[in-house]
Amino acid sequence: MSGSRAAETGRGGANTIRWGAFLAPPLLLSLALLVLPQASFLWMSFHEDLGLGQSSETASLVNYVRIVTDPFYLHSIWLTVYLSAAAAAIGLVLGFATAYALARLGGWRARLALSLILTTSLITIVIKLMGLNLMLGASGLVNQALLAVGAVASPVAFVNNELGVLIGLVQYTLPILVLMLFGVVQTIPVGLEEAAAIHGASRAAIFARVILPLARTGLIGGGLIAFNMGMGAFTSAVLLGGGRVLTMPVLIQQKMIQSSEYGMGAALSTVLLVLVFTVNIVVATCVTRRRGSRP
Amino acid sequence: MSSVALESVSKIYPGGAAVQDLDLEIAAGGFVVLLGPSGCGKTTTLRMIAGFVEPTQGRVLIGGRDVTRVPPRHRDIGMVFQNYALFPNMTVAQNIGFGLRHRGADRARIRRRVDEMLELIHLEGKGDSYADELSGGQQQRVALARALAASPQLLLMDEPLGALDQKLRENLQVELLRIQRELGITTVLVTHDQQEAMVLADRIVVMAGGRIQQAGTPRELYRRPANAFVADFMGKNNLMQGRGVGAAERLEIDLGSGCRMPLPAGACRGGEDLRIGVRPEQLDVGPVEGACIPATVEEARFLGNVAHYFLRTPWGQQLLAERFGGDCVYPAGSVVGVRWKPGDVVVLDGAGARHA
Repeated sequence: MSGSRAAETGRGGANTIRWGAFLAPPLLLSLALLVLPQASFLWMSFHEDLGLGQSSETASLVNYVRIVTDPFYLHSIWLTVYLSAAAAAIGLVLGFATAYALARLGGWRARLALSLILTTSLITIVIKLMGLNLMLGASGLVNQALLAVGAVASPVAFVNNELGVLIGLVQYTLPILVLMLFGVVQTIPVGLEEAAAIHGASRAAIFARVILPLARTGLIGGGLIAFNMGMGAFTSAVLLGGGRVLTMPVLIQQKMIQSSEYGMGAALSTVLLVLVFTVNIVVATCVTRRRGSRP
Repeated sequence: MSSVALESVSKIYPGGAAVQDLDLEIAAGGFVVLLGPSGCGKTTTLRMIAGFVEPTQGRVLIGGRDVTRVPPRHRDIGMVFQNYALFPNMTVAQNIGFGLRHRGADRARIRRRVDEMLELIHLEGKGDSYADELSGGQQQRVALARALAASPQLLLMDEPLGALDQKLRENLQVELLRIQRELGITTVLVTHDQQEAMVLADRIVVMAGGRIQQAGTPRELYRRPANAFVADFMGKNNLMQGRGVGAAERLEIDLGSGCRMPLPAGACRGGEDLRIGVRPEQLDVGPVEGACIPATVEEARFLGNVAHYFLRTPWGQQLLAERFGGDCVYPAGSVVGVRWKPGDVVVLDGAGARHA
């Protein structure tokens, strides 16, 4: 009896579509394109580079040991984390302010602004960064203006340094943050703010006690996305860092393409991947745990 | 407790006026209900009292103080919002204590007051719950407690019972009245539910088109509506159009198709077009004899305590008669005589166009 029922279900019945089957092709494709290269990368990272693209036959931890002992690599890791975190923090502040204003403005004006933001985020990052480079260069618009009003005596070095990379990363992540946080603010009813206002809360108190706690999960999610984007950002780091700011993506590219140190490149990639995963998992765990105690 | 006064207040939006030239006085300790269909301006009026909407013209006074330009948090108001607007990130106790906390009360006083309020709304022991763990009715009571905790001089409520089912709504109406009387707090409530307005209010303000149509006790509004809008909006009504005939002692209304019915003395001048209203419960249905309107029963509906007759008159209008005792004596298709006492007729203005 139960066997025939199982067979019935197995055949799918008249109205049952086996949606699981649709997932098989993309799953296989992802496996082929993501997991296999990563596995071969991981395998490569355990082999020391012998120069000229050759690597040792025997597996060892040499590459990893060098990464965690050599100040050069440690600084690169620190630089990448610090710039990504700073860009995420700046992006959250600017993005939340913009998203909040747009969500509360509402109507066609907000829709227009959002579609403009979406459009800019679809322009290739190279073009946007070249524009920034021109604007922020020693003889760019910004420095000319600053010199003209006498705010500075000599041009400020906005680009080809860490500041440049930071500006580039904010530029890169801001549109996505605004779009994402717009949705977050929209889930906070204006009625809650009014309820707080009429029962004595100032603007600052409403922000701290109502808006911020309710947007918390969304802000953390947005912050993680911006952080992850920053950790993997290559173009911003190269174009606005002028090749002088060696974040991990830049370093990996140099190892793999310029000096053919595949083992080291692979080890750096693995460290980057593990780092990003760890940060995300730790933050996500903390968020869920706090949620559990405060539904 | 404070009185509230609106002095020729208007709110004009680019699309038109939401409230026009509104004058309203609410006595201290009174329970006033702003009643009207959606878009009538009642919510805008409430929000102007709260301070969320700034009037284009006119003044808002609370307890004699001009608060027109005073921000909401300095108006000393408690408010219950539609859908309650409880803070989901706070416990029931934190929600109730919110007003006191932001008005600088100390911890011990807040705790004492929160306990008092929980007792008042019969939710002792629920202080540590979160709003989404409570039922709709409980959330409503918490919202009320939050509004009252800081002992404001004025309580505003925007459709506070709208999201609840009928039975719960009736229970909470009784509860609301008890608390309002116990505290004697001046209260302004907005609703589109005429029944709710009659249960709660000692004064109802009927609004339409951004203007006050009539203000008075529930009895005044039901028995003596000032115009066709109020007559129709407050309960059910049979509005009929006709021409006054006869003079002084023997006034009648000619309803067309040869139907004439007596009017109360002095109700109008002869030859005048007028509109009258007769409540369904005042329409008598019986055999066709004497002064009556012969009408066909289109539908007879058994509703338990009453019966509803839908009647088609000779001039083609449908009337509703409500008879006590649920059994339908006259089946659909039968012809009956409809009559009413002249004293039960309310004579409304000519065509009612003034208020439409």
